[in-house]
Amino acid sequence: MGDARPMTATARAGGNGATSRPHGRGLDLVARRSLLSDVAEVGFRLAPGDRPLVAAGDAIVAGTTIAERVRDPHLVDVPAAAADPDARSGDRWSSVGRPLARVRRGNETEIGELIYEHGGRWRLAVGEHLEPIDCPVAGVVREIRPGIGIRVRAEGRALPGVEALGDPTNGRLSLGSDRGDIRYGRLRSTSLDVGLAGTILVIGSRVDAEALTRARAMGVRGVVVSGLAGKERRDFLASEARQRASLHRLPPFAVLILDGVIRRPIAGPIAAVLEALAGSTVAISVDPPALVFDAPKVRVDPPPAEHVRVRSGEHAGEEGRWAGLAGIRRFAGGTFLEAGWVVFGDDPPRPVPLADLERFV
Amino acid sequence: MTSDPRAFLAVDQGAATTSAALIGRLAHRWRVIGSLATPAPGDVDAIGTELVRRVHAADPDLADGLGLTIAGAPAGIAELASDLPRLVARSAPARTLLAMAVSDRALEPLATAARKTGWRTRGASLDGRDPLQLTAAILDRDVDVILVGAGDPPGADERRQLDELGAVVAGAVARRPELTVILAGAMADQLARIEPGGAERGGEILLGPPATAGDPPGDPLQRLLDDVRGGPDDPRRAAGRITAALADVLDRRIELIEIGFDGGLRATASPGVEGGEGTSQVSIVADAALVPPDPDDVTVDRVLAWATISLDRHRLRDRLRELRLWPWSGIAGDGARLRLAAARAALGVLIDATPDQSALPAPDLVVIAGGAFAAAPGPAVALALADVVRRPAAVAIAQDHARLLGALGVIPDPIERRQALADLVDDVLAPLGSVVIPAGIRAGASAGRLTIHAGTGASDSDLVPGGLELVDLPPGEVATAEFAFRDSVRLGARGRRFAVDVAGGLGGLLVDLRDVPLRLPDRPERRRELLDAWQESLWVTRDR
Repeated sequence: MGDARPMTATARAGGNGATSRPHGRGLDLVARRSLLSDVAEVGFRLAPGDRPLVAAGDAIVAGTTIAERVRDPHLVDVPAAAADPDARSGDRWSSVGRPLARVRRGNETEIGELIYEHGGRWRLAVGEHLEPIDCPVAGVVREIRPGIGIRVRAEGRALPGVEALGDPTNGRLSLGSDRGDIRYGRLRSTSLDVGLAGTILVIGSRVDAEALTRARAMGVRGVVVSGLAGKERRDFLASEARQRASLHRLPPFAVLILDGVIRRPIAGPIAAVLEALAGSTVAISVDPPALVFDAPKVRVDPPPAEHVRVRSGEHAGEEGRWAGLAGIRRFAGGTFLEAGWVVFGDDPPRPVPLADLERFV
Repeated sequence: MTSDPRAFLAVDQGAATTSAALIGRLAHRWRVIGSLATPAPGDVDAIGTELVRRVHAADPDLADGLGLTIAGAPAGIAELASDLPRLVARSAPARTLLAMAVSDRALEPLATAARKTGWRTRGASLDGRDPLQLTAAILDRDVDVILVGAGDPPGADERRQLDELGAVVAGAVARRPELTVILAGAMADQLARIEPGGAERGGEILLGPPATAGDPPGDPLQRLLDDVRGGPDDPRRAAGRITAALADVLDRRIELIEIGFDGGLRATASPGVEGGEGTSQVSIVADAALVPPDPDDVTVDRVLAWATISLDRHRLRDRLRELRLWPWSGIAGDGARLRLAAARAALGVLIDATPDQSALPAPDLVVIAGGAFAAAPGPAVALALADVVRRPAAVAIAQDHARLLGALGVIPDPIERRQALADLVDDVLAPLGSVVIPAGIRAGASAGRLTIHAGTGASDSDLVPGGLELVDLPPGEVATAEFAFRDSVRLGARGRRFAVDVAGGLGGLLVDLRDVPLRLPDRPERRRELLDAWQESLWVTRDR
């Protein structure tokens, strides 16, 4: 990209050798990215057999157990006569007060979820081992669909990411030990201690699976990071699966990925939001992947309209000021791409492929 | 639209790219004035404004001739652009279909039909699976449509469990009224169970033919699945129409190959003979996307096999995941070559999924489309096609550089569509050149001689087995290539002497004397070197 030059000859402007005169036109062609959304609706997946504990319309506070997950779901049969005549798939069923309820397989089944009726018998999803599903945000239960999911309309605002791994969680937002490193920092496992228990840590650009595992063991509730490499992602998911399988689970833990896979610093406008939220209680939602917070007093000023960020490519992570369209230009590797002029700091404008740019709205 | 528009915008809103082309009427025919593409979701108004501005900057008289007269810039340009009539093609979002049957044997044709019609396909059968797993699979919110099928009459292995499968589906579907359900073959008998009287549903319940019915087998079910997947303005759904129109306009056998963000498309069409109807066949394969949503080891291996940059598996997977997240970013540098490696891998998936179309006679013209090829130089695109589609034939290759075929395909009236295409075909298709691939060449110092008779004279060269011969033949030029092989080879037919008419293009004439099918070294370094050597001369603008 350093040797970018125009595809066609253009008039030189001024005496600085610039190939065309930068201007502010064309900003609308730069991809937009939402910094914050006003409404956050958080989803929780349910599997057949899981037990919702709330009803649509219920107002809940952060930390409310909204459902119980059945860890060992399996099917058992009961005679159709043991269910209500108008029973439907998804209804809860209990053997209490039903003398006809004789379970064909399994022992002492008392409660379950009707799955389907076949051959004069209902099949039930039941299980003995339950674990709670807690809602990390305050809000109103909007929808409950047995076997499918629960949706909660959360109070507050959401800062969207591209992916979240783990389980929804909440905690006090901490910028880590080195506040000056919020955008570029790296979390090392040796820098973690129990003093960070209960926090959601903002890591700049890099974290490895070992640090994530140790963070969870130390009681950290979540991590916000710009990018997570595929290997670390795979190792973390494997660790998470082992954790789910264990009998004594640790509190929920989540990783919110803001940008993607490759290493890049947290975007300046996002870092400003996170700095403003430091010390506040926030939540990480997995569906959709977002940082949810209810902090009306926290004021977030949007960046200037012409503020752009290089999302990828040679200058990934750099931010600057839009200075207009540069037309089709030749970039490294022999590619010809639509480009825009961007002013980085006090440097002269540089052409950057339009597709590598984003702006926050 | 006004009664007599002299310009309009043809817009293609794809999954990864929003593109628009400004079409103007000049000298009593439609011409492409300019085009621009941005990452999706792009601002079509902004694209239109920039296109109009460029026309004004380049040729004010042309702008006036197209009725693009500005009242007052720059607000006038934006207003002018927003008032332009638009022809819009919108790609249907990628959707997931769950195919279900009693047995794995019965499931296979259902899943195949779905895979060929652009669905992200999952499969589930009662064979060795807990009904609870089947229920969970149906209740997964990522599933948009379920296709439940059985033979008609059902096979011996199906009859016993059809009722239970119907009960499982009925139980789960009752919880998801928004789900579209297709009951194919004998599963239609379960309709009363799945749709009890008075039940309120948002999704449709459709009855379809058995998966193996029709000629060719599965065709009627594929048509139904295609109808369900795409809307009327989905360009992939219109691919058969536009390819048939192209075959009709050019009077040649056409193959349209597209690799996009959410899938690949292969459409073949032949012109009608003696006033008869032409024929076309379309396959849309979701697995042939540039990068699947979650690239697995198989995908990484496929791309690694074509990569010319040195990356270990982890880094390549990261680059692919990044490409999936931000499909247009990071193109500069080695990004374009990585995209082309991923495009080759996806093209391989597409070709493997459509053996019936590979068995058809070779087309006269292959049209390349889709964002996967957009950033690469034309000659490199032609080589990518030759690398993967190893058909012993001589074919011309062109590229839909302005992404117009999709938009033209959604014109509902066939006569208007044909007329628009007849006007625009020379502007729509950028000629990349011709590729000649003889098969059965034996190793040795020389395979024979090639003589090119072009308007500028004749040239003669030696044919080296295993090599690539690049002959400069500019766009618009037509030549005759005379091959005199030392041994008998296959080039359409078997023989030693062939005379082939070839068309020029950005890449000229590529005579590909490599193996059919292509054999690459197993050692990664050696393979990379070889691929790089083949591509070196075609990335003519690469840094040195």
